[in-house]
Amino acid sequence: MAELTMGAVQFAERSNLKRFIATDSFFKYLTRAAAITVLAILFGVFVSLTLGAWPAFRAFGLDFLTVQTWNPVTEKFGALAPIYGTILTSLIAMLIAVPVGIGIAIFLTELCPRLLRQPIGIAIELLAGIPSIIYGIWGLFVFAPFLQQHVQPALIGFFGGVPILNQFFAGPPYGIGMFTAGLILAIMVIPFISSISRDVFDTTPAVLKESAYALGCTKWEVIWSVVLPFGRSGVLGGVMLGLGRALGETMAVTFVIGNAHRISASILAPGTTISATIANEFTEAVGDLYTASLIALGFILFVITFIVLAIARYMLSRLELKTR
Amino acid sequence: MMSLYSRRVVRNKVWLSLSVGAAGFGLLWLVLILSTLVWNGIAGLSLSVFTEMTPPPGSAGGLLNPIVGSLIMTLIAVAIGTPIGMLAGTYMAEYGRYDRITYAIRIINDILLSAPSIIVGLFIYEILVVTMGHFSGFAGAVSLAVIVIPVVVRTTEDMLLLVPNQMREAASALGAPQWFVISRVAYRGAQAGMVTGVLLAVARISGETAPLLFTALNNQFWGVNLNAPMPSLPVVIFQFALSPYEDWQRLAWTGALIITVAVLSLSILARVLLSKGVER
Amino acid sequence: MNSIAVRATADDIPITREKLSIRGLSFFYGDSKALHGINLKLHERQVSALIGPSGCGKSTLLRILNRIYALYPNQRAEGEVLLDGENILRPDQDVNFLRAKVGMVFQKPTPFPMSIYENIAFGVRLYENLSRAEMDDRVEHALTKAALWEEAKDRLGTSALGLSGGQQQRLCIARTIAVKPEVILLDEPTSALDPISTAKVEDLIDELKRDFTIVIVTHNMQQAARVADRTAFLYLGNLIEEGPTSMMFNNPKDRRTLDYITGRFG
Repeated sequence: MAELTMGAVQFAERSNLKRFIATDSFFKYLTRAAAITVLAILFGVFVSLTLGAWPAFRAFGLDFLTVQTWNPVTEKFGALAPIYGTILTSLIAMLIAVPVGIGIAIFLTELCPRLLRQPIGIAIELLAGIPSIIYGIWGLFVFAPFLQQHVQPALIGFFGGVPILNQFFAGPPYGIGMFTAGLILAIMVIPFISSISRDVFDTTPAVLKESAYALGCTKWEVIWSVVLPFGRSGVLGGVMLGLGRALGETMAVTFVIGNAHRISASILAPGTTISATIANEFTEAVGDLYTASLIALGFILFVITFIVLAIARYMLSRLELKTR
Repeated sequence: MMSLYSRRVVRNKVWLSLSVGAAGFGLLWLVLILSTLVWNGIAGLSLSVFTEMTPPPGSAGGLLNPIVGSLIMTLIAVAIGTPIGMLAGTYMAEYGRYDRITYAIRIINDILLSAPSIIVGLFIYEILVVTMGHFSGFAGAVSLAVIVIPVVVRTTEDMLLLVPNQMREAASALGAPQWFVISRVAYRGAQAGMVTGVLLAVARISGETAPLLFTALNNQFWGVNLNAPMPSLPVVIFQFALSPYEDWQRLAWTGALIITVAVLSLSILARVLLSKGVER
Repeated sequence: MNSIAVRATADDIPITREKLSIRGLSFFYGDSKALHGINLKLHERQVSALIGPSGCGKSTLLRILNRIYALYPNQRAEGEVLLDGENILRPDQDVNFLRAKVGMVFQKPTPFPMSIYENIAFGVRLYENLSRAEMDDRVEHALTKAALWEEAKDRLGTSALGLSGGQQQRLCIARTIAVKPEVILLDEPTSALDPISTAKVEDLIDELKRDFTIVIVTHNMQQAARVADRTAFLYLGNLIEEGPTSMMFNNPKDRRTLDYITGRFG
């Protein structure tokens, strides 16, 4: 017991203290440097893409955004076709994935028997974990032939007699094309939207739902007028995250898009997207202007996705503030 | 009155059935993709896939060199990305928790987390391939590391924030300096989550193709030289699947099956680990 | 006048020298002032209790004495706190060393996620390089002192998280005294414990004051009456009154103290 008298720590090794202070400031600056690396990466991406794209922007100016020509032989490049393809395929994807994704989230939070909730939730999230190249190879060998033989002829036949709409579903059934790419993107994006929406719906305070039920609302009315409005900004955030993924997705699209630098009225026709163009042509690009034009495409994609993802994060952070 | 009510009941049923349908639709794709993958992939699966090199068209061979290339690049990417990511996450949750800069880093990191991976490829092409003058396995590994970092940053920060502040106070109250509190108490509380983050990052990069296309490129031959182009499983799948040769296509399916099994088991493992860590 | 039984009378308190001397101490959370010019003396080898209604600043005051508040931004203390005559609020005070001299036990038990043995060795290793045998001795002493040795000696290598709440809190006390501090701060140490564990911890406090200067924050007046030699009453960030516990409970000078100890608010 004598050992435990007061003040013994006075005799502690004072040299330890100096070492503590030194280690602390070393560790602090080390972690700070690592944290700043994250900022440096984003800055580096921006600068390197700007520099790499500069020759193309100087040569074509704003025309780069509005011209459809993509001719490596004459070295005339315009980004309109890939931009159009990127937006169209993402649009098709979102039209399908948003309702399905939210529907799955509703099923998981409000309807699913407790026992099945976790396994089904995990299964849907596994869809998000499958690498995009798998979607690509599956799309090319399984899904596109199926569409070509069964779905596209039916679509062409069905809309053939309808004025205006028949232009969107015209031409031979290629199998591959923008429609197929959009469908595959939809499958890839669904789990993003559903898992975020599910988390969002789970944050709805139980008292809100109970008071709506107490008024005699049906389940659907509770979902429609309480759960959905409460989580609106969060769901929008999830949708924007999904959109960010669809816009930038490369491999799955590259396999099935057809890589045609033209804008067709028909959504069944082959086309291209920004990322598919880069993936297909970058290593084969000869000439500085060709390479610079491809990097310029990357720059445009970077800017678009940056904006979309920033909006997504803003929406999600607004929901966080609400539930805190 | 009754008709209004029954209309509401019908509408309730219709919408609820639609949401059940949506869940079925989602699961359908998972089943379809996995079953065709197994069907097509298992046909070509044999020992020679793991012991032989990629063949020229028309002859037998395996996927040994791209598998080894993928393993090497993944390993290096994790070795580079994990420490940077963990240290950055540590700064955000510990030393810099109340700094303004942390707020900015969190937003930027979340954006990097979902940024298109092909852009990472272009970035590394510009800063490494152009300056070194040639494609290389090293450049491929660095581009994968850039993808690893935000994943690890995010999970490290999240997991450290879950460690109760009382723990830190208790350790500080014994006279422990902050680095000691972090390394002995906070990390110990967060370790399951942090390992999960690394596993998720590995799962994420093992299927990545786009950033390797113009950094590591590809290589038909045996190569462990980091200063030369290096084959990887995803890029070989890409090349073989788009080729007109049937035996190459079959190898592509087999490779796809291998990657998917690896990625899915990693993410399931990560999940199990995390739920165990949280229980404790 | 009231029914609170006081253990010691004013005459029983040994006369000891001042250990901590608080002078003109104010505290700020950002812009809001939580303590207003506190003056208080705490004596060596005595138990001093800080009582008062929630939000009165008693925990805030305790958290200044080892500068644990400095872990957070926007928290700031003004004035002086002298420990053996040295101002611990001066900027060049090494806070880690200060905290080794002024230990603290918290409201909820905070065992680290490691073995019982490692929990105790954790703090000791920081300032002393002991051999394995010396460390074993230290762990045994600390656990004995904290009345936990008999329960824990056969499971030193097992996780501290497996102990019961009361055992965990005694482990935290053992962990604190193993570092050989001079002052021990107790922040509502029994509020998360059952009555039996509470009694054990209170007995322990009685035992510990032979070696240490103890400051305890409690919202439980009976507890203050049972364990404290002197008691200080805080209200709305001000020190209302301080004195021997028997005086405080039997014969308070201030109306507000009387109201509080007779349960008219709080």
